[in-house]
Amino acid sequence: MSALVSNVLTQVFITLIAVAGVYVLTGLTGMFSLGQAAFMAIGAYASGLLVKNAHLPIPVAMVLAVLMAVAVGYLIGYPVVRLRRDYISLVTLGFGEAIAALLNRMTSLTGGASGLTGIPRTVGLGITAVSAVVAVALVASFKCSKYGRQCIALRGDPLAAQAMGINVTRVKMIAFLLSVALTAYSGCLYAFYMSYVDPSGFGWKKSADWVIMVFFGGVNSLTGSTIGAFVLSGLPQVLRGLQNYRYVIYAVLVLIILNFKPSGLLGEWELTPRNIKRLFARKKKPADKGEV
Amino acid sequence: MALLEVKHIYKSFGGVKAIQDFSIEANAGEIHGIIGPNGAGKTTIFNTISGVYPAEQGQVFLDGKDITKLEQYKITRLGMGRTFQNIRLFSGLTVEENVMCAFDPQSRYSVVGGLLPTPNRRKEEKRGRELCAKYLEAVGMQDYIQERPENLSYGMQRRVEIARALMCEPKILLLDEPAAGLNPTEVAELTELIGRISQQFGFGILLIEHRLELVMSISHMIHVQNFGQTIAVGTPEQVQHDPQVIEAYLGKEE
Ligand SMILES: Nc1ncnc2c1ncn2[C@@H]1O[C@H](COP(=O)(O)OP(=O)(O)OP(=O)(O)O)[C@@H](O)[C@H]1O
Ligand SMILES: [Mg+2]
Repeated sequence: MSALVSNVLTQVFITLIAVAGVYVLTGLTGMFSLGQAAFMAIGAYASGLLVKNAHLPIPVAMVLAVLMAVAVGYLIGYPVVRLRRDYISLVTLGFGEAIAALLNRMTSLTGGASGLTGIPRTVGLGITAVSAVVAVALVASFKCSKYGRQCIALRGDPLAAQAMGINVTRVKMIAFLLSVALTAYSGCLYAFYMSYVDPSGFGWKKSADWVIMVFFGGVNSLTGSTIGAFVLSGLPQVLRGLQNYRYVIYAVLVLIILNFKPSGLLGEWELTPRNIKRLFARKKKPADKGEV
Repeated sequence: MALLEVKHIYKSFGGVKAIQDFSIEANAGEIHGIIGPNGAGKTTIFNTISGVYPAEQGQVFLDGKDITKLEQYKITRLGMGRTFQNIRLFSGLTVEENVMCAFDPQSRYSVVGGLLPTPNRRKEEKRGRELCAKYLEAVGMQDYIQERPENLSYGMQRRVEIARALMCEPKILLLDEPAAGLNPTEVAELTELIGRISQQFGFGILLIEHRLELVMSISHMIHVQNFGQTIAVGTPEQVQHDPQVIEAYLGKEE
């Protein structure tokens, strides 16, 4: 495999893990976070610093970094899971930009705007691919569990959900922390793949990008969100030769999909054995009719 | 002490006194009808009892426990089930999943089980699906498990909503106009259904209903509400002959 292809795929898989987290948050639970990339930054910086400065083994550093992000997520989650949708976006936006500013300012620790360098480059395509598959599988399992059902229920009708005994704030918090953990882990992989991180890549634009990927593929479909992450994060890399046109192509593609299919590429269709069977069963029928 | 005791509750919205001094006692196996013209405050009574918002004055006891200021989901877990005047099934979920949602808060597996198919999760999911089957069968919807509620008729959706309320394992069941939008055949079926589940599961029922033939035929006691006040309480026989009721409610129908 050429180095270019391997590089593109690795970055796509790293993005995919974060997007799986955004799917849990936005797709399943209906919460919009514009500060999600800040958790990626926390994962990347914390794991990088723990290895560089504290000389911890990389897996230990990653686990600690994810736990740190979850702890921060718990604090920011306290208001987030109690707020109305539009306020959630505002609070997370403020939080995300604050983290980015903090990383810029704490020069002695983080290297400021010039970034944190000298992180050992130990992560490659293999580990990111396996991680992405595991992340998507965990989210798929979560969706079919009692948590996934409760998320979908409260997304549409929080009052009726409460009336069925669902502790809405608790379920939202669990979904939020799962998405934080996934995003932070993708940050860990990013740090040890790039060997260098700087604050500029973790602003609200990145968070918004992930939300767009989820909507593009299908906000109610994990399969769709996965495809969205692949297409939209891979495309700009593939089209690198086209310079600025790649953003035009990206924007046009997103607009076309959301205009003609507001529920996204796949709507709420999921790749499950039963749905595949149904797909083939349906395809056969028109052929049968044709013969009559 | 009665299973459900509502003592002198009040609730207003701005200047609108939606409930003024409402009291009721209900026991297992009983059906209490609540009737009254539009805007009389009937739904507000349910919302206050079930904890959507707390009563401004007065108290509510369920099975001896003071639930007046408790959060809605906690009241449900103590044994209160309800349906809504405008059907509120969860979109994006099948009939079975809708009913499962009322089991999920009782389901005993942790976040680990939420991510991995642990034996415990499988066991609990199986228990839930069996209960789903039981309650969907009780309302005659066992053949529609995999359907989406939005593809079902109004009457069927109402039944699914009742099954979902049954899944809360209620001691008291609140039914808010379950016959609204149903045709006469469906109303007759629903009347039979309510009587049957009341016998089968032995909970107390509070029933808000505009269709008098339904409410009069199965209620043990009837409360008549008007402008937030209770204007009559008694057996169906008694309230039908109460002059105030005839004027405020029955008279209006003619
Ligand atoms: N959330 C609310 N905010 C403001 N006013 C409300 C609210 N809920 C109810 N009301 C008002 O309280 C009064 C009682 O309403 P409620 O819905 O309880 O009546 P109802 O007896 O259930 O009527 P219907 O037969 O039409 O369902 C009405 O005047 C209504 O406008
Ligand atoms: Mg009402």
